[in-house]
Amino acid sequence: MQNDEDFFGRQLPLRGAPTNGAVGQHALRTVGERRQCQRCGQWLAVTDRLANGDWYCRQCLQLGRLTSQHELYTIPEPNRFVRVKSGGLTWTGQLSAQQNVAAQAVLRHVKTRTDHLLWAVTGAGKTEIVYPALAWALAQGWRVAWTSPRVDVCLELAPRLRQAFGGVAQALLYGGQADPYAYCPLTICTTHQLLRFKAAFDLIVVDEVDAFPLATSPMLQRAITNAQKPQGCHLLLTATPGNDLQQQVRRRQLAVTYVPLRYHGHLLPQIDLRLAWRWREGLLRNRLPSALIHQLRGYLAKHQRFLLFVPHVVDLPVIGQALQLAGIQGGVTVHAADPDRPAKVQAMRDETIPFLITTTILERGVTFPNIAVVILGGDDPVFSTAVLVQIAGRVGRSADFPSGQVTCYCHSHTKRVRLARGMIAHLNLQGRRQGGRP
Amino acid sequence: MRACVWCGRQLQTTLTLAQIWQFTPIAQATVCDTCRQRFTAITSQHCPSCGRQQVDETVCLDCQRWSGDRLTNHAVYVYDSAMKAYMQQYKFQGDYALRVLMQAPLAAALQRETYDVLVPIPVDQLTWRTRGFNQVTGWLQNQPFQQALLVRATHKERPQSAKDRADRLRTPQPFTLAPNAGQLLRGQRVLLLDDVYTTGRTLRHAADQIYLGGAKAVTSLTLAR
Ligand SMILES: [Zn+2]
Ligand SMILES: [Zn+2]
Ligand SMILES: [Zn+2]
Repeated sequence: MQNDEDFFGRQLPLRGAPTNGAVGQHALRTVGERRQCQRCGQWLAVTDRLANGDWYCRQCLQLGRLTSQHELYTIPEPNRFVRVKSGGLTWTGQLSAQQNVAAQAVLRHVKTRTDHLLWAVTGAGKTEIVYPALAWALAQGWRVAWTSPRVDVCLELAPRLRQAFGGVAQALLYGGQADPYAYCPLTICTTHQLLRFKAAFDLIVVDEVDAFPLATSPMLQRAITNAQKPQGCHLLLTATPGNDLQQQVRRRQLAVTYVPLRYHGHLLPQIDLRLAWRWREGLLRNRLPSALIHQLRGYLAKHQRFLLFVPHVVDLPVIGQALQLAGIQGGVTVHAADPDRPAKVQAMRDETIPFLITTTILERGVTFPNIAVVILGGDDPVFSTAVLVQIAGRVGRSADFPSGQVTCYCHSHTKRVRLARGMIAHLNLQGRRQGGRP
Repeated sequence: MRACVWCGRQLQTTLTLAQIWQFTPIAQATVCDTCRQRFTAITSQHCPSCGRQQVDETVCLDCQRWSGDRLTNHAVYVYDSAMKAYMQQYKFQGDYALRVLMQAPLAAALQRETYDVLVPIPVDQLTWRTRGFNQVTGWLQNQPFQQALLVRATHKERPQSAKDRADRLRTPQPFTLAPNAGQLLRGQRVLLLDDVYTTGRTLRHAADQIYLGGAKAVTSLTLAR
């Protein structure tokens, strides 16, 4: 037995018409010789056919198979919600002056139903900046989705929003969960789950819009557009927007609010670029660039602790050995799948070791006060522009040591490193306008 | 460039000169080496009755409980987590394209069997309409087979996979013989083909009917045990 509410703003696949007057359309639409899935928008291959002659979509199979026997049923979103005062906001925290400026800008854009990018550096508290706009939207009886391509972001966010918006019913949706669907004013879901909706949301907040796989998936981008009401709007959140979004901002096709300063009000450290021509060939003979050796010896002499980032796990032992030979000793290597990783990171936090050689950005939230960062081989493709900006953001997290050095050794100049420096310069320009200090 | 039908990774494929010359799109799906190697083939050290992988070739405990109701089953792969993941997507999510993964291994296994008539375990009408395919015949390419068995559309209160062993063993005979089964089976050596050997109940029910149809001998082959 299907509930009317289950159809509000959704597209439910059924093999026969329901009795509640929901409107259906063929799940797979035939256009000439080809067939297009109406849930995920992908075109079927000529081989996507069952033995009984039916067609089926392989692209959105994880949400339950759609065949040419299915129709997608919907009831237009009626916003049948009980209005709650202040949108159910129960959060009692305070926004900083800088956060408040950004929050008001976000609120203005939501009120005028304008698509908007909130470009906030890591550590700026972007979730809380959205609260005033979210509270306003929910108080209007809007239906809101807060979505991320990453399930871990959704799982981390849901309890925070449940606390901050205690007065409003919320649903959390992600693949492989046991909870049944519930019709709620606020839905927190993975971007994949938006494929089940149609013209449902007045506002969609897209968290980590630059994260894989959303940035490269036309299917997921379409899911956001389809799930949003035609008169609705979306708010994109990111610390490192990709080229497409930056271009839309430059062409003034997308409104943007910057939060360029971290909570302590200091600018981001710029990446200091140094050429290390053919450093990989030197490494074959256990040799590292002399400028790098000189710099690291200097750090050790001054008791300046540092992180050395290298491109690949296989580079770790080789570079570790070359450092040993150069008399730079006492550090350890660590990578994402290292079983001793928590212990090594803890040793670095406890300041019992002077440096880490690593391939990854470590966990979110892991900060080392007064740290220097060195990247060897920053021109390697593993270091995307976003990753380079995030690595640089490791420096100066703490209010006691808000600045520090970020040095990047490259075999050649590359676009990614140049773009990362450009992004930091751009954010710092915005930051100076807001009174940021070096 | 083509993508692996299971993991979606792009494959480096070498086209033959003829393919380039004719410029025809390659319609059949492909599987990458990693996906091919995910499954564990059963060695010669298996239970002689049910085909289960063992360290020796004695009759396993489950089979000893079937005393007197012997069947000789061979199985291609161990029913491990990789095989479960495969069956989940192929059979339960209904991703018919994944049939190609098993076509070559099953063809090789059929080569090793001695039989006159191949009889796949059928699916009922409702499954045919909703799933849209028989998961067993999907693995066959050009091998001739006979639909000598019919299956009653049992209104299942629970799917087979949700039952425990005792439930399964009590399952009543679901099969009947097709109208022309007598001609097809009389005096023949029959090989039954099924997806997974779990308790052996289904295959024994099928074998009973095939014998009633006049077959001289019945053995079976399953993809997994
Ligand atoms: Zn689809
Ligand atoms: Zn594969
Ligand atoms: Zn056995």
